[in-house]
Amino acid sequence: MMRVKLDDTLLLQVEKPAKYIGNEWNMVKKDPESVEVRFAFAFPDDYEIGMSHLGMKILYHILNRREDTYCERVFAPWVDMERLMREKGLPLYTLETYTPISEFDIIGFTLQYEMSYTNILNMLDLGGVPVLAKDRNRSHPFVCAGGPCAVNPEPLADFIDFFVIGEGEEVIHEIIDAYKDWKGSGQDRNAFLELVAGIEGVYVPSMYEIVYYDDGTIMDIMPKSGKVPDTVRKRIVTDLDSADFPDDIIVPYIGTVHDRIMLELFRGCIRGCRFCQAGFIYRPVRERSPEKLNELARSSVEKTGYDEISLVSLSTSDYSALPEFCDNLLEFSEKERVNLSLPSLRVDNFSLGLMERASKVRKSGLTFAPEAGTQRLRDVINKGITDEDLKSSVQLAVAGGWNSVKLYFMIGLPTETMQDVEGIADLGFSLIESCRGIADKHGGRGLNITLSTSNFVPKPFTPFQWEPMDSIEVLREKQYHLKDLIRKRTRRIRYQYHDPEISHMEAVLSRGDRRLGRVIHTAWKLGARFDGWDEHFSFERWQQAFEENGLNSSFYANRRRDFSEVLPWDHIDTGVNKGFLVRECQKAYEGDLTRNCANGCSNCGASVYQAGICFRKDKNNSQGG
Amino acid sequence: MARALRFRFSRDERLKYLAHLDVLRLFERALKRSGLPVSYTQGFNPRQKIVFGLPMALGLTSSAEYADIEFDEDITPETFISRLNQALPDGIEVLDAVPLLKKGSIMSQITSAKYEVSFDVPQIMDPDEINGIVISFMDNEDITVMKKGKSGSKPVNIRPLIYSLSARKADGDGYVLDAFVSAGAENNLRPDLLMKALSQKTGLDLSVGSIHRRAMYASTFNEWKDPFEVAND
Repeated sequence: MMRVKLDDTLLLQVEKPAKYIGNEWNMVKKDPESVEVRFAFAFPDDYEIGMSHLGMKILYHILNRREDTYCERVFAPWVDMERLMREKGLPLYTLETYTPISEFDIIGFTLQYEMSYTNILNMLDLGGVPVLAKDRNRSHPFVCAGGPCAVNPEPLADFIDFFVIGEGEEVIHEIIDAYKDWKGSGQDRNAFLELVAGIEGVYVPSMYEIVYYDDGTIMDIMPKSGKVPDTVRKRIVTDLDSADFPDDIIVPYIGTVHDRIMLELFRGCIRGCRFCQAGFIYRPVRERSPEKLNELARSSVEKTGYDEISLVSLSTSDYSALPEFCDNLLEFSEKERVNLSLPSLRVDNFSLGLMERASKVRKSGLTFAPEAGTQRLRDVINKGITDEDLKSSVQLAVAGGWNSVKLYFMIGLPTETMQDVEGIADLGFSLIESCRGIADKHGGRGLNITLSTSNFVPKPFTPFQWEPMDSIEVLREKQYHLKDLIRKRTRRIRYQYHDPEISHMEAVLSRGDRRLGRVIHTAWKLGARFDGWDEHFSFERWQQAFEENGLNSSFYANRRRDFSEVLPWDHIDTGVNKGFLVRECQKAYEGDLTRNCANGCSNCGASVYQAGICFRKDKNNSQGG
Repeated sequence: MARALRFRFSRDERLKYLAHLDVLRLFERALKRSGLPVSYTQGFNPRQKIVFGLPMALGLTSSAEYADIEFDEDITPETFISRLNQALPDGIEVLDAVPLLKKGSIMSQITSAKYEVSFDVPQIMDPDEINGIVISFMDNEDITVMKKGKSGSKPVNIRPLIYSLSARKADGDGYVLDAFVSAGAENNLRPDLLMKALSQKTGLDLSVGSIHRRAMYASTFNEWKDPFEVAND
């Protein structure tokens, strides 16, 4: 077995060398010779990002509980480290045993963000693994991928042997078991792929043929044999309480983005905001019980020494037992000097009191996500929040001593007009106006507001999956207009916005088809990596990659699809029906709201999983039960 | 049994890539895991009452780091050492501890440190010849180098900060410089700056390898003392 040798000539030349040495508290140590399956969990971004990711912690824990398997971690080395590794001829290695990733049985990438795709190619290449799946043979590892972006696996079909759609806790065991069977059988590589293709939730792209029309749209997606299913259905964990969840998470030496214990309250979201992919692909909503969470909080603090716990979910306020749970948790955290952080909380009297109690730190900033500047557009996206809600929330916050507020919006939403864009600034002005006087009364300074706009990117499996994205020019025009408007009126509002070129590429990759594999491959060969980082992204490079392959990025980003068009991800089934998404899209144009899952079922289709909120009997659900 | 302890710890090759703040965080979490009754400061953002003798630069190994720590209950040095070591990762180890009866700040007591700096030169040289060059370097009354501070670089004469220097052959390849220099809050001489000065003034083309801190001292009335000896001064 080969181990990469690290020394000062490497590690003292790079920034934050502790990213590359492993050996953190709670890192799992096993004898690699004693296991049957070696699994490299690969995060295609920097260590500081990857170590903040809950999914990796869960799967690392689950895999390593198996005696027959050793799961190790690998991250994308930062550019300084990569350069030195290539100079010295060092292969990409795992942090647990410094083993080159080419020596593993399976390499599993998590797909959290489209702009990390080129890092996957780069990591494979740096690890001595052929970048293209078709070039791998029996001596090479299998390369798989999962995570939210895997719901449209097509752009990565050339590079990944198989995808795992949905939640990995259960299906990963079936895959490891299948691997052991295959390893003993002496059969060829394809035999294993056929084996896993039979597991629900596993998609083997090489076993499907895509047929295109002359105009580049898809005519058909066809299984190449009867051995693979027509559609691959997402896997979920039905009962979160019985799902394995780690309390002995690895404690990094260096600060990471989310350097704390993460307690996952629930999966899914009842809200159904029409732009939000997470809100659809994680359905149905399933909660973890307060008892289980309290137990996890206590054992996690004991085993990690962390002094901060963050509650994790898509919308903390929607956790059904929040007040009781928080009371109990605060009792523990105050005694143990542990801070609680409460993200994505709706602001009201209850939550402000909670935040005051939970965190002893300075009242710095509060964040809100109205997403759109006018009531009309908020109705289009099904964001059930009014100007009045927002005004009273902000007034409460200011009266409570918070003086800086950040508001998140999107520009480029379907049906948006310049009036809606101006609405963002108007909302900011009116909030400042409405809080004048309140701060004085409470001895505080006046309100400062940050308005932040991201660029709306239509995503698969949302009601907006057929929508064109605004062009780069239009997005810029809207950004400049807003910037101008704010600068002329007040100094109390800061405006932040995102690079439309990165958003454009994100849109291309998120709704791309299999032909994009060539573009990604070319872009990587031209030097693309860390595309999610402004300082490393080059739009020109991607444009060149499109040109060289005779494809057009606007076809993917800026084209309106017909409801009848075959979409590249139509053979993936997340439980939510396409018919429901069509209805939601039509309701969006009318500005009709759809009730949330807690108030009643809207028949999205996710009840096929017979889990979570679809089965809560105390609500007036017309479905499930 | 005491409410406060002064302890010595080491850091080896495995954890030398941590920066000073990472080491502080590592101790904070290890102490929390250990369940030891560490005292906390009062106020908005309570911190553990632990103070370190000298910061540890990234890349430095050491067999003589010191820190003072306070507890809410009486505790024996033995209990402290064994419980904290169980909660510390491989690569940092508590070696020794003594009761601290009087509150003093280790940070203000430390005034000097001894380093072993491994280095090499392009062509093979007699260790005595190198040592001779080092001794003549010490004959300078003024060794002014540019020192980076918070507000840009400024010239500093580091000669008064060097107490003794000598070079010898290393066990393996290369050479070792034994340096006894001023350290601490007031006049800290970093070994990397010393090596830069040595290279500049003598023309030796030095490539610096590992840097190891093997002692630190407190001074009282011009006498160098072990930090444990002055724990209750």
